[in-house]
Amino acid sequence: MGGFEIIAEGFARALQILLSGDQEILGITLLSLRVSLTATLLGAAFGIPLGFLVARKDFHGKSVVTTVINTLMGLPPVVVGLVVYLFLSASGPLGFLRLLYTPEAMIIAQMILTFPVVCGITISSVLSLNPKLKETLVSLSASSSWEARVLLNESRLGLITAIIAAFGAAISEVGAIMMVGGNLLGYTRALTTAIMLYTNMGDFATAIALGIILLMIAFGVNLFLTYLQMRSRVRRTT
Amino acid sequence: MSSLKNNKILVLIVVAVVVIAAGLAIVYLQPASPPQRLIIATTTSTVDTGLLDYLKPHFDSKFSANMTWLYLGTGQALEVTSRGDADVLLVHDRVREDAFVSSGNGTLRATVMYNDFIIVGPPNDPANARGTNATEAMTKIAQAGASGNATFVSRGDNSGTNALEKRLWTKAGISTNGTWYVSTGSGMAPTIRVANEKGGYTISDRGSFYKLRSTMNTTLSLVILCENDTSLLNPYGIILLNSTKYPNINSDLATNFLLFMVSKQGQSLIGNYTVDGKQLFFPVYGNPESIGLPPENATVTYLNSQLKSKGFE
Repeated sequence: MGGFEIIAEGFARALQILLSGDQEILGITLLSLRVSLTATLLGAAFGIPLGFLVARKDFHGKSVVTTVINTLMGLPPVVVGLVVYLFLSASGPLGFLRLLYTPEAMIIAQMILTFPVVCGITISSVLSLNPKLKETLVSLSASSSWEARVLLNESRLGLITAIIAAFGAAISEVGAIMMVGGNLLGYTRALTTAIMLYTNMGDFATAIALGIILLMIAFGVNLFLTYLQMRSRVRRTT
Repeated sequence: MSSLKNNKILVLIVVAVVVIAAGLAIVYLQPASPPQRLIIATTTSTVDTGLLDYLKPHFDSKFSANMTWLYLGTGQALEVTSRGDADVLLVHDRVREDAFVSSGNGTLRATVMYNDFIIVGPPNDPANARGTNATEAMTKIAQAGASGNATFVSRGDNSGTNALEKRLWTKAGISTNGTWYVSTGSGMAPTIRVANEKGGYTISDRGSFYKLRSTMNTTLSLVILCENDTSLLNPYGIILLNSTKYPNINSDLATNFLLFMVSKQGQSLIGNYTVDGKQLFFPVYGNPESIGLPPENATVTYLNSQLKSKGFE
């Protein structure tokens, strides 16, 4: 069977899985969503405030910190997976938490990946705000919380971009969750690790089908986020 | 103090958070996973062949358990288990299995089943390896490789298959330095696929090869060139871990897994598993002598008494 036939068969399989409401695939899909959405939200909860602080404060070594965060945006998932595995392993320093091969371990690993993405994009969007804005705030002798609110509000397009990029990194990665989740059937098997397994087993059509489902989910989440982004852009111009 | 615009964006953020939180709540409302989970650290072949998928419902219903597995090579399986991260081992590298037990990580090892390795290659067989014994075949492949006519694709992942392959090279007195020798660093099925793409030779367990051939049909052009050699025998062992050293593992369920696999039910299930009408694994518990392995009398006597007292037979 040639490449195109397998891809076509994958589309047919995807349709069949979606229509039949396959319980196993549904569970895998929900797990992927749960892990990657939680990791994105947690990454944003830490990344946005830290990114804002780094962008707003003038301190010694600011460019070094920014460079480090930008570098961490390219962290290899499999290295994150290995390090988190070694920490959570029964013989590791955090082994007593008994978190290895659980969805929580997967969330921790993905959060380490999403955090620098959110942080880095937050820094650049806050830095790229019009300097006159800050002058205006100073002239109004705005309180620091007021200032933060105005500046974050003005950089909201960038913040939503940050969340979109972080979610994209999380939902599509396989190396980290394979290491710390173990790809256990019915428990820690996510879409990407299942794709990997089906590919290894030579079942390319099912692998393609899961890939299509993954893309559809990513599309759905991004549709919502982009809608937010567009709305806030319209507001800004009115 | 705050502008109307600020209020609107705040409302928008609150709405977004509520929507996402509601979504997460729904997703989290999945039923909690049952506590009786067994994690088997195993080799790629028991997964690639579909054997564990086939055994799972039988084991799960018998013990109200949830049998899961980590898809690893034997080397990684032993490493992960020695760190206390899995409940039981199902692997195929006798040398390292024995070392694992004698180092105190494991308490008991039993041979449960076997199949055999085969040397596969392109149908035109440029190295003329067809019909030779394993050592001759390896020598011929290396010679053809050195003159640029053949490629050997190795697992290169420290797995049981990889260990056997290295033993064969050593036996044949061949160094594998050269461009003819390719190392994939991945599982059995992916390695067979690489050999298939490159028109190369590789060593596979028979089960993984049959299963992949049944999935890939005619797109898998490799054929079996060398088989039925005693040096290609592939016995699988189950190892119980030292529960004093690893207090957090599920050792009761691990023991039940071993007993299930060596019980009459388990042994006949293993023997009855076929792909395209071909049997992939042969039960051998209690009689390793029949395939030329050393007897395991003490282990077998102990396990048989356990089988009786726990009501398996």
